[in-house]
Amino acid sequence: MITTKLSLLAMLNEVYKRLLIIWDYKFNVLTQLVMIGLIFVGASYFMAGGRFDPSQLVSVFLGYVVWFYARIIIVSSTADLMSEAQAGTLEQMYMTPVPTELLVLGRVLATLVSTTIMVALTAVILALLLGIHIPMHWEGVVVFLLTLVGLFGFTLILSGVGLVFKQIDALADLMQNMLLFLTGSLLPVSRFPNWLETIAQTLPTTQGIIVLRNVMLHGQSLTSAWSDGSLVWLTLHSALYVCCGWLVFKWCERIAKQRGSLSQY
Amino acid sequence: MGNTLGPNIAIELEDLSKTYGRHGADNVKAVDALSLSVPAGQVFGFLGANGAGKTTTIKMMCGLVTPTTGRIRVNGHDVARERGAALRQIGAVLEGTRNIYWRLSAWQNLIYFGHLKGCYGSELKLRAERLLRELELWDRRNDATRTFSRGMQQKVAIACALIADPLIVLLDEPTLGLDIQASRTVKEWVAKLAREEGKTVILTTHQLDMAQDLCDHIAIMRQGRLLVNKPLAELMHVFHQEYFQIRVKGSLEECLPGKFEGLTMTVENDNILLSGAIAEQAALYEHLASIRELRLPLLSVMRVEPNLEEVFMHLIEKGVQGDHHETFALSHAQ
Repeated sequence: MITTKLSLLAMLNEVYKRLLIIWDYKFNVLTQLVMIGLIFVGASYFMAGGRFDPSQLVSVFLGYVVWFYARIIIVSSTADLMSEAQAGTLEQMYMTPVPTELLVLGRVLATLVSTTIMVALTAVILALLLGIHIPMHWEGVVVFLLTLVGLFGFTLILSGVGLVFKQIDALADLMQNMLLFLTGSLLPVSRFPNWLETIAQTLPTTQGIIVLRNVMLHGQSLTSAWSDGSLVWLTLHSALYVCCGWLVFKWCERIAKQRGSLSQY
Repeated sequence: MGNTLGPNIAIELEDLSKTYGRHGADNVKAVDALSLSVPAGQVFGFLGANGAGKTTTIKMMCGLVTPTTGRIRVNGHDVARERGAALRQIGAVLEGTRNIYWRLSAWQNLIYFGHLKGCYGSELKLRAERLLRELELWDRRNDATRTFSRGMQQKVAIACALIADPLIVLLDEPTLGLDIQASRTVKEWVAKLAREEGKTVILTTHQLDMAQDLCDHIAIMRQGRLLVNKPLAELMHVFHQEYFQIRVKGSLEECLPGKFEGLTMTVENDNILLSGAIAEQAALYEHLASIRELRLPLLSVMRVEPNLEEVFMHLIEKGVQGDHHETFALSHAQ
């Protein structure tokens, strides 16, 4: 009971700390959000041949929102880890009696909460400005959460690698850019060449974007998505990512402790 | 698991070794078969030159570095098997890093680390307030710590290490980079922790005057091995028996340096002071014979109380010269 309370407290503590730090960086965060918004506006304009057509934008918008989530989560998780290793606060975190697994979960939760606030804010402003109307289906939330699970598995892999090799900022940057172009955020993967489509299917958010579009834009039910296998594949895909992520993270954590590199940069 | 150590032992290291690297030639043995017990309620000075293995040992105690072999018990709890219980006993400020969030205020840092260590509610707030008041940071509690001086930041780091009221405090070079005033504050605090609050403090420092003033017990490491492990008074007593100061009239040029191996030569009021440990009477007479040979007027020969720095240098130099017998005899003669 005490451990549960302690763990919950530790997780909430992470959320609180993250929000405080984001608030302290508010100007930077705001600038990034504006930049992300402008990229969407620019990309949509060019993709539509020099005009804005809200009805054509909905599909791209959904994919872009998923990428936006992925971008913030990947970049902030890896950057936070590196800066904390450098500052020694990562070691202080590892010196607490709370199991590190729970602290990692706490950090995931903290990133989820802060990212949701930022993405929701930007998405609503963009939707209002561009007149994009997204049909609301609760099933979309389920699909979105499943996609996030896979994304977090992917982030755990990157964070684990960061614990051992430290300088992974460039890799994180490369990955988030790859996710923008190769997961169907802007262009459906069905329009990719076969070999590229196969690669794209292995990335963490690709299947999520496909199912999300079917559910949100075409009104497909979860039962139907399950029956045609797309939701099954998404579930398996996300589960696989999160399991691999967890194993890689724990393995890398063990190596970092053996090498004494938790605080080295 | 209950406390299986004696009631007076806070930390016990048993045959602890740490080797970094995997390939034979690149291996670095940072800690080599280290066994020692840290008595509870004392200030335990962990000394050694850079690379001696102090920080690795401290990090192994904190569960941050996995030992290659050996075992660590903190108040009876095995760090490898009972991590949570062992870490509940410890608060630490580690060397060379910030240890706190510079983007957060002093208050926010204390509350954050308090929560992480399982403290909450009014008890946590009261303790945070007490620590900040005692460290004279209360008026600036809401300022971001990045705006603080280095000394103030270190105070916050120490307060964070103490927020859960741990029984054992590990301070790895806590005065590194601090000015004299800030160093003094930290020193006073360490003394207070041990004398008034009965905490066990493990202190690594290169400021040997501070170690001499604060520590009850000294362990000296060299190249990962334990050279000495003794109560400070006993260590100083051993060297008091053999530490001499020979005063002669003359200039440094006249005292051929090679003649007085193992002695430190300094000039004081136009006299030369030759000082150092001279373990045997025969060696003392040899030095006196050399002085006569050089025709230097002998002014005095005194047995003096060495300071810790002189003891430390003597032990380290003896070790470097390969004379292990005397130094290891010290660590084993307990």
